[in-house]
Amino acid sequence: MTLFERIFGKKDGNSASTARNRLTLMLATERAACSTPYMDEMKTEILDVVKRYVDDGNVRIKTEQNQNIDILELEIDLKKRDD
Amino acid sequence: MGDIITVTSGKGGVGKSTLAANLAVGLSEAKNKVVVIDFDIGLRNLDMILGLENRIVYDVVDVMEGRCNLSQALINDKRSRSLYFLPASQTSDKNILDKDKVKKLLVSLKKDFDFVILDSPAGIESGFEHSIFLADRAIIVTTPDVSAVRDADRVIGIIDAKSEKARNGEEVLKHIVINRIKPELVLKGNMLSQDDVLSILALPLIGVIPDDEQIVTSTNSGEPIFYNKKSVAAEAYRRITKRVLGDEVSFIDLFAKRGFLHRIFG
Repeated sequence: MTLFERIFGKKDGNSASTARNRLTLMLATERAACSTPYMDEMKTEILDVVKRYVDDGNVRIKTEQNQNIDILELEIDLKKRDD
Repeated sequence: MGDIITVTSGKGGVGKSTLAANLAVGLSEAKNKVVVIDFDIGLRNLDMILGLENRIVYDVVDVMEGRCNLSQALINDKRSRSLYFLPASQTSDKNILDKDKVKKLLVSLKKDFDFVILDSPAGIESGFEHSIFLADRAIIVTTPDVSAVRDADRVIGIIDAKSEKARNGEEVLKHIVINRIKPELVLKGNMLSQDDVLSILALPLIGVIPDDEQIVTSTNSGEPIFYNKKSVAAEAYRRITKRVLGDEVSFIDLFAKRGFLHRIFG
């Protein structure tokens, strides 16, 4: 740190992290929009079927995307019914 | 059969043609037969970077339209004798390329050359699509700024959709080159670092090129910087060439003490 910075304080120095955050956010939306356009529709249809068999409180649905893969993760908790 | 390498970026002005030129020189200096084609129809540029602008008689569209033979249009580099250059046409109709004719030309070039390097135009229009269609590998050039990285991401996302190789279930190799890094700015936290860019684009790195004023000089004189033994950027291009040839080479330490770099390159 130079004497100048010591006295006046280091004002700049985090614009890179601002850039990183802005880009990450922006690309997350852009990738989601163009990669699998049918994602929402598919999700609703799958849920419609699943709901016929289990309570929708037992279903967790998650999507994940990056450059190489699109994942739709579906976790269904099949509770044993008390007889 | 040679490899088709497409140099692309999305955003213009990030150093695509300079990379295409220097990679072509590098591969030919390593005893390969190389042809580099300017695909930027209407906005020819690679000729100036290679210093071959005064030798152009025919261009890539003339070849595809059968107005001349391939051998009449190919320009042999004055310095690297196994390097050939096929210039872009200066027609204002940038949609003049025809997919089948592009394919015919590239397939025949692949038989004769070890490497066919395509300098793609900026943007994601038809010129870009033609240049990526038959690519065996793509090198995506970006600079560490938000607009270039964003455009690079867009391009990466559509390469597979436009590639014949990907359509046939094969993989198009994709690598990133980060151009014009300024280490002082990265250290101050005012420029995206190479790790930042890579974690956003999620692809492997094949080169990091520091900002180097000597590039301007070399473009001015039409002498690819690759030949310049003192330039840091030239060293970066030499290492990229080696990596393309399959060698494992370490990346230049951009954050080494200034004095050290100056002792080697200064």
